[in-house]
Amino acid sequence: MKKTIASSLAAGLLAAMALPSLADGIRVDGFPPFDTHFDKQVNVFNEAHPDIAVTYQMNEHGDHHKKLTTNLATQSGAGDVVIVDVSFVGAFINAGGFVNLSDAPYNAGQFKDGFVSYAWNQGQGSDGNQYGIPIDIGPGVMFYRRDVLESVGAEIDGVISDWNSYIEYGRKLKDKGVYLIADAGDVARIIVRTTLQEGEGLFFDADGNSLVTSDRFDNAFTIAKQIRDEGLDGQIGAWTGEWYDGFKNGTVATQLSGAWLLGHLQNWMAPDTAGKWGASNLPGGIYGSWGGSFLAIPAQSENPAQAWEFIKYLTTQPDPQIDSLKDLGAFPVLLETYGDAAFDEPLDFLAGQKARRLFADVAKKVPAVTPMKGDLIAEDIVMNGALAEVLNDGKDIEQALKDADRLLKRRIK
Amino acid sequence: MVGSPHKVSQVAQTPNRARVRRASRLAPWIKTLTPWLFISPFVIIFSVFTAFPLFFSAYLSFQEWNPVAGLSSMQFVGLENYRTALDDPWMWKSLYNTAWLAVVSGIPQHVIAIPVAYLLVTAVRAGVRQVYTATFFVPFITSTVAISLIFYTIYSGNAGILNQWLLAASKWPVFSWGLGWVEEAMPIRWLSSSDLIKPSIAFVVIWKYTGFNIVIYSAGFLTVSKDLYDAGKVDGCNAWQQFWHIALPMIRPFAFFAVTLTIIGNLQMFEEPFVLTSGDSGGVGQSGLTASYYLYLVGWEWLEMGAAAAISWVLFLFIAIATSVHFYFNGRKGMGGDR
Amino acid sequence: MTGVATKTPRKSAHRIASPRMARLATHGLMIAGVLVTIFPFVWVALMATHSRSEIYSSPPPFWLGDNLAENYAKLINVMPFWTVLFNSLWVSVAGTAGAVLFCSMCAYGFFAYEFKGKNIVFGIMIASMMVPPVLGLIPFFLTVRFLGLLDTHLAIWLPGIANAFGIFLIRQYMVQSISRDLLDAAKVDGASDFRIFWSVVLPLIKPALATLGIVMFIGLWNNFLTPLIVLSSPDKYVLTLALRSVQSIANSPWGAIMLGTFLSMLPLLIAFLFFSRQMMAGLTAGAVKG
Repeated sequence: MKKTIASSLAAGLLAAMALPSLADGIRVDGFPPFDTHFDKQVNVFNEAHPDIAVTYQMNEHGDHHKKLTTNLATQSGAGDVVIVDVSFVGAFINAGGFVNLSDAPYNAGQFKDGFVSYAWNQGQGSDGNQYGIPIDIGPGVMFYRRDVLESVGAEIDGVISDWNSYIEYGRKLKDKGVYLIADAGDVARIIVRTTLQEGEGLFFDADGNSLVTSDRFDNAFTIAKQIRDEGLDGQIGAWTGEWYDGFKNGTVATQLSGAWLLGHLQNWMAPDTAGKWGASNLPGGIYGSWGGSFLAIPAQSENPAQAWEFIKYLTTQPDPQIDSLKDLGAFPVLLETYGDAAFDEPLDFLAGQKARRLFADVAKKVPAVTPMKGDLIAEDIVMNGALAEVLNDGKDIEQALKDADRLLKRRIK
Repeated sequence: MVGSPHKVSQVAQTPNRARVRRASRLAPWIKTLTPWLFISPFVIIFSVFTAFPLFFSAYLSFQEWNPVAGLSSMQFVGLENYRTALDDPWMWKSLYNTAWLAVVSGIPQHVIAIPVAYLLVTAVRAGVRQVYTATFFVPFITSTVAISLIFYTIYSGNAGILNQWLLAASKWPVFSWGLGWVEEAMPIRWLSSSDLIKPSIAFVVIWKYTGFNIVIYSAGFLTVSKDLYDAGKVDGCNAWQQFWHIALPMIRPFAFFAVTLTIIGNLQMFEEPFVLTSGDSGGVGQSGLTASYYLYLVGWEWLEMGAAAAISWVLFLFIAIATSVHFYFNGRKGMGGDR
Repeated sequence: MTGVATKTPRKSAHRIASPRMARLATHGLMIAGVLVTIFPFVWVALMATHSRSEIYSSPPPFWLGDNLAENYAKLINVMPFWTVLFNSLWVSVAGTAGAVLFCSMCAYGFFAYEFKGKNIVFGIMIASMMVPPVLGLIPFFLTVRFLGLLDTHLAIWLPGIANAFGIFLIRQYMVQSISRDLLDAAKVDGASDFRIFWSVVLPLIKPALATLGIVMFIGLWNNFLTPLIVLSSPDKYVLTLALRSVQSIANSPWGAIMLGTFLSMLPLLIAFLFFSRQMMAGLTAGAVKG
């Protein structure tokens, strides 16, 4: 036993000493499916940069961010490039653990105009410096079943003209036993996200005061509650068997989502429904986004220059951006790519619609939302906590928002 | 220097006697050291890997710290984190949920495990017993991924297996009188209505850990010698009395151990509620938010490690109280303190 | 208070019920339990033969599918499956062996001796079980880094040894099964302290050692959090972590993951069967206290 410990200790020390020898290569930490993307892109990257060896370590999405938190906390062990999900980006980039890419030698500002502006802004700290470079985005659209639409003789432009007509469409569907949407909560989540005043955060104004009791939230919750109370939604959670079934069987008529849902529908969720789908703008003339990822360089990295080369390749070059659209269904963030022929390709799954053009137009119109310190807490308290109480337990909206506001103020000083 | 005259006299004695003396003077030392030699390997590893994190967390509970900003960004805030924790409605809600789940998912584990273990040991052949025990143990080794997939399928509202069985049963004449309400209530949303989340979680916990307790209790019942039962039979004990008066008192140390584990484990319950509410801040109305779950949320998702550390010490206090009460009432006999 | 009233009928019932009926009832009960508990295992096994879209249809299929070969090919494509399986085995076996040895030594120290500070040390250990483990990750990482053990398997199994659960379990078993007279007799025979522990006590507490063994083995096998933060080379990953690392909400090869999950449960079952022979071995009558 003792011998084993001693030899393992020795092995451990050797391994620890061996670490610096990796210095001429870089490691990327992320989560699947980025490994699929890198499998291809690293080879291409190495044609131009044969001297930079790239390895990557993938972990499950939640695990990855937990590991990253530990690495940033202890200032060691992080990769040279890390992928950060949009939901964490606000909290992570303002904490000082990442390299400021606005400064020389990176001068990230030179690329600003090439990117979709809202995504570029999301990667900025509150000091106005760039810490994260967006790699993909999720412009928000509505996917809908064409066959269901026709069966009640509705027109898509009429349905999405405002939320009332959207709900009216739901009432017609109810008679046929079809749900308007899987989860009414999605409606509240997107309205809250899209009807902001200039300079506001999602939950806080520029001075950090809570906006939770404002009309924006009240309105969003009211519309969602109306859909739920009239029995127009299926109360089906996302990423469950029931959700996929709704798409397969046409028992759910619409889904508000990021453009990336298309790839999933087509590849495995409901491949047999090809040609029955369409994509449109969100109802009520709003523009929003679902998801997105950023690349950043931890300040602890010993190879920031090489890391930056790889980031530049992935984000500012059109080829890898278009590849990620084709291979992963991840939507490009680089404006230049929108001129590519791929964007005018009719998509069979959407009955020949040139939907990528629509996605690109949406991407350009999504308003910028300033990330704030308490966003993660507010997201849980308001959009998970209060919203669920209103929809599932019938709690009064005004009361629910007031309670959430009080909770939030107690937690954030 | 003080001891030098003594030393001189010692040297003056014959070598042989001196050795004997020295040995006899060392003996108490050896006697004192022996237990420490037994416990030291464990204690050393324990100190390195468990004690430091404890101190760290205690220190942290007086700091404000966003972990992603690095160790140097800690700021001393005194008792602020504790004040926030005690003034936080979600904290109290989570403590209530924890207590509810601990009791409702804890008691059945033992009420089922004890008789089953007894039957396994006394009424089932050794070979068959092994097959049964192994099967009962399976939930304990089932990975979280499998558990979440399986129970989502069982509990799901529209097409869940549980609801389908209930519906089918309600249409069966034998049960229909008791299940008439079922059709009305469909679809029952086991995991997304605030009053059903806790029972649904409790069932999974019972399902997962009862087998483990069966194993502990079986090991316990196996230490009861046949002679004792035979003696009981001579005294005219029936089967029930054998169980109640002979077997049960004998497994007291095992019951004490198993109950202690259940108390501590259940009050730290995290994985099952987390998975069954998809990590979504405790489910509807935070009905599935346990204290451990909450401190995970505060520390790892809201990135307020100091506040989370304070919550963890508040929870520790509750667990310590619960365990002390248990030790106070059952500890003397359970720990074998009368030896 | 109802004892007198119920005593007679119960006795007569006992007499009427034939042993055969009782046996049948016992097995009926056991088999019902078996059905409830084996369900997930069978289910995972079935899922391992299906494709992703079949797994996620509702209701899911409860029969064998025909994707097993494909799932296996995918599994060894997305991870070095046999390497990480071996890593898991090594970590679990090493940690289990260490835990069984050191915990039983420590428990014996607490059981057999009176010494100053005994209650305090034991109390601290029990108390350490009460601290929620959720926040320990960052200080654990600091410790591992300080010891220079980052990216080693040692950092995963060594801390597992220091498990207060183990000493508590074994101490409780000793209280029940080792008599004071036996220890005294051994001492009179001139056996050294360690010899008494090794040759007299250990053989008598085999069931407890086996119980600790199986619990440790499972705990180490299913542990993915410390491997997550300690390991940085994918070929050092343990199985649980490797299986998690290919999961994403939307893009995972779920058939392959279910196959991997099923295969990862098998060693645990084998370990259980291995240990349970010892666990259920019972004791030689002479050594039992009481």
